[in-house]
Parts: sequence; structure tokens; C-alpha cells
Amino acid sequence: MRLFGRKDADPSPGAEEALGLFLFEAVNDAIAAERALKTAGYGVHLVAPPPHLRAGCDLSVALERVEHVGAERVLAEAGVHVREWVNDAEGTASVCDLVTSVDFGDWLMVRAGNMKIVVEKATGVIVNTSGGGCPDIPYLNLALVGKRLDEVPRPKDLGYTLCGLMLDRAYVEVRALLPGGEVA
Amino acid sequence: MTLLVVATYPVVDGPVLDGQVSLEDDGGIVIGGTRVPSSQGTSAMLGAAVQVATHLGTPVPYALVAGDIGRGDGTRHVYERLAEVATRVRPSVIAFHYMQPVMALMRRAIDQLAEVAPGALLVADAGGMYAAKAAGLANRFELMTPDVGELGFLADPDVTHPAYVSHYLFGNEGFDPIALAARARATGGSARVLLIKGVRDHIALDGAIAEVVDEPCVPELEAIGGTGDTVTGLASAFLAAGFPTVDAARCACLANREAGRAMGATPAMHASDVVAALPGILADNLCRWGGACVV
Repeated sequence: MRLFGRKDADPSPGAEEALGLFLFEAVNDAIAAERALKTAGYGVHLVAPPPHLRAGCDLSVALERVEHVGAERVLAEAGVHVREWVNDAEGTASVCDLVTSVDFGDWLMVRAGNMKIVVEKATGVIVNTSGGGCPDIPYLNLALVGKRLDEVPRPKDLGYTLCGLMLDRAYVEVRALLPGGEVA
Repeated sequence: MTLLVVATYPVVDGPVLDGQVSLEDDGGIVIGGTRVPSSQGTSAMLGAAVQVATHLGTPVPYALVAGDIGRGDGTRHVYERLAEVATRVRPSVIAFHYMQPVMALMRRAIDQLAEVAPGALLVADAGGMYAAKAAGLANRFELMTPDVGELGFLADPDVTHPAYVSHYLFGNEGFDPIALAARARATGGSARVLLIKGVRDHIALDGAIAEVVDEPCVPELEAIGGTGDTVTGLASAFLAAGFPTVDAARCACLANREAGRAMGATPAMHASDVVAALPGILADNLCRWGGACVV
């Protein structure tokens, strides 16, 4: 097994900075918000909301409090629905960034957290996806398996949950490991 | 002796389906007369459960499912129907599987089931397990079937999804299932029995390891999407057939591994290959493994 994507986890990335949080109804709204805000030049990251603000498998976007008004305008213009802004990011948690791989000879498996993607090395065809337990995982399995890495949308653009987001991390990593496959 | 599986299937706006489950010759899963897509996930779980029921001559599984691709709509529809279906089907085992992990919905469901199906044993895997643990209800469950990363999630009282598990609790390095199972039980994150799926399968009873299954060793099974789901389907069906829970879990691990060996598993195979191999595996081994001898 190869371990190549490990960083020290920050259990509460907002605890020591003047950060606030955008909360969303759905994980894919948070992913869309991250994309829109990064495109607009904001420094943001995806985190779990504090326990008292969670409804289930939630994902929120943390950014500097002073930037929240402008950022909210960007999200409105992008059509991203925000459930709530909170002026306190204490108690948030980072998404697991533990990425590992297993070489099966003709096939390469990459794990991100407990999500896995398996690719045939010679062709770049995705032969399996697995792990996780949210309903978009069987959907992503149907959408991705049997297709080449370079001809499918990114899992985070197709999926709706944290499981889909973790599968996207595995997808990005397996592309980086195979010749000519790195995601721009 | 009926197993009720509560889950979703991967179709946009797919309607609620409830009915008996059957397995077609090509491996397709039919629920109440409607075929659902074959994938990893609940179709793999149901396929394995059908094979157990067919082998043992027990009632075929019953499923309550709706289309959901991760937006939670189908999950909500399933929860709305759960009390009515459980009242009608009178299941002995209820297994929650691929569902959107919404704590409030799981809390309401468990309250309802305490009224309409008080004797049913509860099983959880996948999103059903995430919701049960996050909602603080894990100790109401008889069996949960985590993989190594999900065991870290069950052992961490502060997280609501495996994506947030701390590195030191994750299962790939220095994995200590004994400590994690005990911690999960002590912190209210565990069912009475855990079937921990991994290179070595561990079965924990009340937080202590009761069984370890590590033969045959087929590493390729981890790469095949849905092989954890087939284990859950096997264990749930054995439980519904009356096996003690630890025996149900042990026989599930053994059957899944033997199926992987018999089919010559490669990372490019699928859970449907495991399901197709099960009849022969059960016929040749189950009497020896679990004392359930079909005559």
C-alpha cells in the first residue's frame, strides 16, 4: 500500500481565525459555492459545520468574516442557494484528506477516506467504484464504471453528498498517478 | 422470519416501490414486479439476501425503496411509508441501507418502529448506519456492518459522517479494531454486534471481538464495488432465518470470501459475480459453517 496524501488534520480550522460559515441545504450547494467563490478569488475551504448546526451529512464553506457580504453577492449571482450565514466557525472539522493506493498489477485502486476508485492502467477505464453509503454512490457507479477517466465528468459535479466529494478526491488522485491524466 | 430492507435505488425521481424481491437469471433485481438498476449498493445487498433465502427455503426479502441519486428526495419518501409497510409486512429483521443520512428522519423512524414492529431486530449499513450513529441511536441496533474507515466514524463521538473521521481513527494504518470496537460501544456509537469488513473481518459483540475471519484471503474483493453490500445482505438474511447474530455475521464473511475465491476475483469484476457464485458456496459449505443443513 502506498500512502501519499496525508496532512496534519486541523480539528477546528475556524477556531483561531476570524472565520464565518455559509450553511447550505445540500452538499452539492456547498460544492457549487466553493467553486464560485474560488473562481471569484476568495480564499475558502469546505468544512463540517459545528455539531449544533448539523442536520446530517452537512458541508459548509468557511471564509473570512469581513468578506462575507461580497461573497454572498457572488453566490446570489451564481444562483447558489445559501441557507444561512453564521459569524462563528468554532467547532468545525476538516474533511478527511487521507489518500492511499493499492497496485493490483493491471489495475490501480485509490482510496480517499473510505471511497475507492479502480482503473485499468492500460486504458484508463474505470472498472469499479465503491465505499461510502450515500445514495449518490450507486448512481456514480452507474455513471462512471466502464468509461475512461478523461471522458467522464468529475464525481463532485455529478454527485450530491460528502461521499461523492470523497470519491472526487480519489478520482483526482488516480488521474494524477496515471500518465497524462492530471486534472487541470 | 421476514427481512425488510429499507433503502434507495439510483434513478432520478424513481417511484416508491415496495414488495417481495426476486433475482432474475441475468442477475437483475426485481422489487414488487419492477426491475431496478444493478449496481453496487442495495441491489448487491438484495441479491445476496435472496440467495440465502432461496438456499434455506425461508421467506424472500421484502424491500421498501425509492429513487434517490443523493438529493434525499427518495429517502424522505421511503421514511414516509416505513411505518405502514412495517405494520403490514411484520418483519423480524429491518435493515437500513443506502439512504441520505438525515438524523431527524432516522429518529422518527426508530420511534415509529418501536410502536409498530417492537420485536424486529435492526440492522444498519451505509447511509442508514451513518444516520443511526449520528443521531445517537446506534445502541438501538442489533447489527452494523462498517468497513475499517466507518469503524473509526462509529468510534468518534464528535463526527456525523465518515468523511470527517480523524486520521488517527482511520483504518488503513495501525488499525486496531479491538480498541475501536470497544470505544465505539463505550461511546454509544455501536450496535450490539459489529461486523467489521476488512482484510481480516472482525466481529465484535458488546464491544469485544468475538470472531475473526481471514480465510480465504482475496484482496481483490476490496476493489470490487458492492462486496461490502453482499456481506450485509448475507448477514441480514441469515439473521432473518434465525441464526444467532454472531453466527450470521461469521457465515456472511465466510460465504463472501469463498465466493470471491470461487469466481477468481479480479478488480474488474462486479458484485453480481459474487451473487452468482453464492448458491454453490452455500450448498457446499453452510451446513459445516453454521449448522443450517438443508435436506
